[in-house]
Amino acid sequence: MSDQSASNGRISHGSLMVADPRTKKRNAAEARFRAYGIVAISIGVLFLAALAFSILRSGLPAFTQYVAKLEVTLSQEDYDAAESKMLKTAAYTDIFIENFSNALDERGVDVAYDSDAIERILGKVGGDIRGHYREHPDDIGRPVTFQLQTSSRVEGYFKGRVDRESLVDSRFLVKTDLDIVDALTDADILTGRFNWAFIKGTDAGVDNPGGAGIGAAAVGSLFMMLVVLLLSLPIGVAASIYLEEFAPQNKFTDIVEVNISNLAAVPSIVFGILGLSVFIQFMHLPQSAPLVGGLVLTLMTLPTIIISTRASLKAVPPSIRDAALGIGASKMQSVFHHVLPLAMPGILTGTIIGLAQALGESAPLLLIGMVGFVAREFPDGVVSGFLDPNSAMPAQIYTWAARADAGFYEKAWGGIIVLLAFLLTMNIIAIILRRRFERRW
Amino acid sequence: MNDMRIVKRDVDMNDIKISAKGVQVYYGDTHAIKDVNVEIKDKTVTAFIGPSGCGKSTFLRCLNRMNDTIDICRVEGSIQIEGEDIYDKRVDPVQLRAKVGMVFQKPNPFPKSIYDNVAYGPRIHGLARTKADLDEIVEKSLRRGAIWNEVKDRLHAPGTGLSGGQQQRLCIARAVATEPEVLLMDEPCSALDPIATAQVEELIDELRENFSVVIVTHSMQQAARVSQKTAFFHLGNLVEYGETGQIFTNPQDPRTESYITGRIG
Amino acid sequence: MTNEKHIASVFDRDLEAIQALIMKMGGLVEANITSAAQALEERDVELAAKVRASDKAIDALEEQINEEAARVIALRSPAAGDLRTVLTVMKIAGNLERCGDYAKNLAKRTGVLADMQPITGAGASIRRMAREVEEMLKLALDAYIQRDAELAEQVRQRDLDVDQMYNALFREFLTYMMEDPRNISACMHLHFIAKNIERMGDHATSIAEQVIYLVTGEMPEESRPKGDLTSHTDMDMESF
Repeated sequence: MSDQSASNGRISHGSLMVADPRTKKRNAAEARFRAYGIVAISIGVLFLAALAFSILRSGLPAFTQYVAKLEVTLSQEDYDAAESKMLKTAAYTDIFIENFSNALDERGVDVAYDSDAIERILGKVGGDIRGHYREHPDDIGRPVTFQLQTSSRVEGYFKGRVDRESLVDSRFLVKTDLDIVDALTDADILTGRFNWAFIKGTDAGVDNPGGAGIGAAAVGSLFMMLVVLLLSLPIGVAASIYLEEFAPQNKFTDIVEVNISNLAAVPSIVFGILGLSVFIQFMHLPQSAPLVGGLVLTLMTLPTIIISTRASLKAVPPSIRDAALGIGASKMQSVFHHVLPLAMPGILTGTIIGLAQALGESAPLLLIGMVGFVAREFPDGVVSGFLDPNSAMPAQIYTWAARADAGFYEKAWGGIIVLLAFLLTMNIIAIILRRRFERRW
Repeated sequence: MNDMRIVKRDVDMNDIKISAKGVQVYYGDTHAIKDVNVEIKDKTVTAFIGPSGCGKSTFLRCLNRMNDTIDICRVEGSIQIEGEDIYDKRVDPVQLRAKVGMVFQKPNPFPKSIYDNVAYGPRIHGLARTKADLDEIVEKSLRRGAIWNEVKDRLHAPGTGLSGGQQQRLCIARAVATEPEVLLMDEPCSALDPIATAQVEELIDELRENFSVVIVTHSMQQAARVSQKTAFFHLGNLVEYGETGQIFTNPQDPRTESYITGRIG
Repeated sequence: MTNEKHIASVFDRDLEAIQALIMKMGGLVEANITSAAQALEERDVELAAKVRASDKAIDALEEQINEEAARVIALRSPAAGDLRTVLTVMKIAGNLERCGDYAKNLAKRTGVLADMQPITGAGASIRRMAREVEEMLKLALDAYIQRDAELAEQVRQRDLDVDQMYNALFREFLTYMMEDPRNISACMHLHFIAKNIERMGDHATSIAEQVIYLVTGEMPEESRPKGDLTSHTDMDMESF
């Protein structure tokens, strides 16, 4: 109306071409904030890279194994002769040494050794050879290539853990043995190869880190995860749907809700001791069984799944429920036909996070007896997979890391790599499933 | 003079479809609807207008018991559809909602194909025995929803890919697919542009042939355009209910007058 | 009708502006009627010319009112009382414009009559009738401003007086013309003037009816007393 008051009340703005001090300050603040973000991400990436590097550096050697390759042909007479002796393995050792020196001669290697040195380098070769022929009598009379595993210390020498200085006063390996090893390596008799035994094998005794594998523990983990998935997903989803869609809002449901949130924060060792007292001592389920481990981990995973499932149910727009109810769908139809499919990606994400947590858990498993050294053999079938004593990967890794021999330390790192690979596979499967459920429209 | 009117105003001759007597609604301690008496005619568009929070949507949702899903909501009094009290213990709200369809403020198609959106109601109510039956119902409903021509070539495209106005007409088609007798609409055009609004309004007028339509709207102009009867709600009371032309030219209650002339919010 | 303000204050200003225009127009019309009647009685040709000139302003005002009303309808979508206000404003403007035209016609005939033999007493009678009509118009517009249906109803009833005055004049002129055929020309003009004033009374009545519609929302029933009997009057010689 009146021009005067309008011009008086107005703040004068300067030229748009020149940034005023406040704008400059704001822009500087924004630039700083972005810089913080980049720094934060860089630090994160750096830590991740350091972690990956150290895991790979320490763990990768576990996947390499050093063996002595030797072709042996054992005639029936020799076999009978060896079997008739008092010291049968010693006889086989002699047979081995005979073949061994032949092989050395063939390749023109000249090195001094005795049977003790051979045992120090390759372990009790006689036992290994005898074992092979007793298992495969058909091989008698035929040439067989033996791949004899080197002892932990020789592997240590290859992997840089052992050198000549550190062998002073050692009974298990002496300096001259390393000369033999070098010569054998040059002669291509001692070679490295991929350690399938580590992935397929079972745990070995404390004195045999080279023979230890994570396979049995991985199978144990697998059965445990099956139990967790089969129990926690249906129970968790059903509980969430009931609480979110059907339950009346009252004191009781409030208490249930608070307790579920609290359960998610309970330390896992508490679930372990609970499992020990309830499942094993009270219900008399078999000790160290993946079934029990799975039950314990289910208890631990349920709150995570329930919380994330409820969150994704809540995130489904209420208009969808209204739409379904409005055309006369029942409550259950609206939930199962419309709400649940839309919430499925979120539910799967929560489930995978829960399973991943469970997969990496070791403390509760130790309490119910799923310690590493239990995993000495593979289960015979599905039932025994659930019920026979076994370990799980994290517990196995924990056990290895606690052992004295440096070879086990390396195995622990290798185990971690296998565990991570297992997890990655699970996550990829989850992502593929989620893509299936996600309707992109 | 009355017999010379250009537009036929024979609404009052139609049968009463819904009769509400002494309806009270409480949300917890809040008295949301206070003693509402109203008779809604068949084959008529009835508009509920009133300021925000006046209870018009609440009352609309009483008519198909959508308020049942809210725990703290309590309804008293009697609402009868063709003489049957819908709040009787024997009445299953799911069955009721097949008879009293509803269209919502925001277009809310299911994240499924156009075909499945419309076919969902008939499927769960078992209205079609064969695939051909279902196809027929879907086509008829989409035609009634005045959207058939736009979507007939892409029935299996997602319903959420349509424009806002098309989505709302799809929702109307979905609602009429279950052959309801009453169609409740809660601000069906509030999220639409004027052209889409006009299309939906035209559709509402066509639907009057077969259904009793009750529409809640914030737009007084829309109420004036589409309805034959208008009810004005204010602070939970039904202040005035009458022929739309009369409400908009000569309301009897000063509160109605104030509201429709833009004097109270 | 409520006296509360609109939430949109522009709407209030628009409505007030239109009604101010109506009042201005009403004032002009009233003044023209008075002046025209005075000019007729006093054979004041100059005053008559002034009346004719000022009718242009009335016509312009009507046009302006119609335009403003159309704008309000288009922009504000008035409803209920507001709608009736705008509708009656348009009709009242039309009525006033017609009244203005009749006043102008009166002034025109004044110019012609000034050259003729005066009819004794006719000027005064017509002026009395004009004053009556002007009074009705004024009251009708007052009723409009005050939204007073009762006052409007009184105005409606007063039309009977005007009709009776017109009846009396009609007979009077008839007598003059029968007495002396030389009076016929002047009497014809005077009769048209009287008829026009009677029509103005009808327009005032129509304004009063608009006021009743504005206030009550309903047009009054056609039970108004009618006093114009001239359409049934014939030259019944025996009665003289």
